[in-house]
Amino acid sequence: MPPVVNEETCIGCGECYDACQSDVFYGSENEEISIVSYPDECWHCNACVSVCPTESVKLRIPLPMMVLYQERTVRSRERSSRA
Amino acid sequence: MTRITMKERIVETDVLCIGGGIAGLMAATRAAEKGARVTVAEKADTRFSGSGATGNDHFLCYLPEIHGTDVEPIVNEFQLGQQGSLRNRSFIRTWLLRSEEIINLWDNWGIPMKFNGRYVFGGHAFPGNPMYHIHYAGKDQKRILTRKAVEKGVEIINRVACYELLTEEKRVTGAIGVNTRKDELVIFKANAVILSTGSAIRLYPASSTPAWMFNTRLSPTCVGDGRAMAYRAGAELVNMEIPVFRCGPAYFARAGKATWAGVLRDTAGKPVGPFVTEPSNKYGDPVVDAYQDIFLDYKKSGRGPVYMDCQGLSDEDYQQMLYWLENEGNVGLLDHLQEESIDPRDKPVEFRSYHYELFPRGGIYYDEDGATSLTGLFAAGDELFGGISGAAVFGWLAGEKAAHHARNSGSTLGAIDRICIDTLKQNIEAMRNRSVGPGWKEANICLQQIMYDHTGEIRSETLLNAGLAALKRLKKKSREGLIATNPHELNRCLEVLNLLDVGELILVAAEERKETRGKHIRSDYPFTNPQMSKLLMIFREDGQHKTEWRSIDHQ
Ligand SMILES: Cc1cc2nc3c(=O)[nH]c(=O)nc-3n(C[C@H](O)[C@H](O)[C@H](O)COP(=O)(O)OP(=O)(O)OC[C@H]3O[C@@H](n4cnc5c(N)ncnc54)[C@H](O)[C@@H]3O)c2cc1C
Repeated sequence: MPPVVNEETCIGCGECYDACQSDVFYGSENEEISIVSYPDECWHCNACVSVCPTESVKLRIPLPMMVLYQERTVRSRERSSRA
Repeated sequence: MTRITMKERIVETDVLCIGGGIAGLMAATRAAEKGARVTVAEKADTRFSGSGATGNDHFLCYLPEIHGTDVEPIVNEFQLGQQGSLRNRSFIRTWLLRSEEIINLWDNWGIPMKFNGRYVFGGHAFPGNPMYHIHYAGKDQKRILTRKAVEKGVEIINRVACYELLTEEKRVTGAIGVNTRKDELVIFKANAVILSTGSAIRLYPASSTPAWMFNTRLSPTCVGDGRAMAYRAGAELVNMEIPVFRCGPAYFARAGKATWAGVLRDTAGKPVGPFVTEPSNKYGDPVVDAYQDIFLDYKKSGRGPVYMDCQGLSDEDYQQMLYWLENEGNVGLLDHLQEESIDPRDKPVEFRSYHYELFPRGGIYYDEDGATSLTGLFAAGDELFGGISGAAVFGWLAGEKAAHHARNSGSTLGAIDRICIDTLKQNIEAMRNRSVGPGWKEANICLQQIMYDHTGEIRSETLLNAGLAALKRLKKKSREGLIATNPHELNRCLEVLNLLDVGELILVAAEERKETRGKHIRSDYPFTNPQMSKLLMIFREDGQHKTEWRSIDHQ
């Protein structure tokens, strides 16, 4: 559920609430910890993370978006056998 | 429960820009420079909105100091490329010839267009051919363009999405906006209106993850509002039926492919394309610019998946690739790669086509001045696909012309069309006060299913007719039944109603184009008919869809 707000360090400045184009922080109140009302509408553009003055917002990339890769061991073997 | 009613606010201006993305902000700044009173109505916040929200990094251009004094070879190259088929030579020439001016402006305003003091070309090119995209550092572009517009006196109204144009005898006189955070209608009265609402996303299932609706290639809040508004007001749209899709990493759709410097290889490490064998920031791997189906074809032939392999990229080049990805607005992706310990030099990243998500490259037909077929209505940017450079150049030109029109049209701000406003108000209040019914998401998912199955990768008359019937049923149910429990959801409901209109246009136009062209694949007309190398216009007349074929040289 991206983004995630660190409630310990959030100062309620509302920067993330202003920045989000999808308004996932909809309903956040002035000077209160930002709430994530519509996590599924996040586009992972990172604007909220970039504007937070206390580094309290992080994106948690949802599992369906996990980047996939080829294990190096397989590739190295294939590569060296071709060489 | 107390009944919710919409308050009303009236804003008067000379030039109204609907959408404060790249095109909208450029248009607003230029119109203000030309002496007009300018208002931007923006659905989100112009500092971080639209597809250029947190950056882009390729700018299409013609630079005489590099390309030489003759622009024609670059016009030729452009016509062979991604968007050549939609635009005539004169339009392309104007675009290229005005690009240097915009590059200089942006550089002066603080958007770095050079790297270490010089222009760096990269991407969207084949080895040996002329290159015409420079890399630039766009990560702060929206903040800078917003600041510039405000400096010139532009009024920016954030969190107001426009939903309907106001017209008076084929002349556009303003628009109705809906506040996305409180129950309020904003009525704009203007002498000229510029539509710059970006692309038409969320018509089809998300790029590579159908169940994750906002994992899209372009901004998922740009949903064809401009196209729908223009169409309902009577403006001409063009080539809505020919879709595009993109490719990029599985499954992080916004990351795209253009900035990756690696070579696309099969599981055994063999390059899948003929163009490059070594990674480089200059070319990346252009095979997918020419052959997007490669991922599906590899899969079908038992050779998939295909990987983006950056092995062999020098440290310096790798750092540069990361720098461009950062400027492209992909810090979210870079953080993810780091957290997962994925270094694409060691771990080739699986790439795929984002073939679920078809989006129309076509859209509102605007000319070199940004003028549409309706008096007082202009359009720019991804209202008819053009990337960042097209948005900047034609936004600038549209702003100039709109200011001119507002000054010289002789019209004073007229009375507003109360019937139009009251009808919308009634519908909105019904959505806000209904307690039982489908929410926007249900309707959006249903639309995506209908679109993908009936006018997706494969089309035919029978599929298109079935799709149209299904879409009409969905439209009726949505109009009569949608519920919105707050202004945020109301905005989403209105987005879906616009998407339904845009979807219908695609179905109708796709039926009319009885041939296969690009990704418009008609199983009942499996070849490209040279006689249909034309623009297909679609517009509304007497409440009906009308289509008309025009030569590409028509202006
Ligand atoms: C990650 C990424 C990288 C990209 N890289 C490149 C690149 O390197 N080079 C390139 O050429 N292109 C690139 N693109 C595409 C480029 O960003 C777009 O082509 C460009 O932003 C189009 O500009 P625009 O002004 O038409 O639309 P946008 O910049 O998308 O702006 C549209 C604006 O309209 C607003 N809006 C929408 N509907 C309404 C409404 N109803 N009422 C009011 N406001 C509304 C939106 O909130 C937004 O602010 C990239 C896109 C992405 C996502």
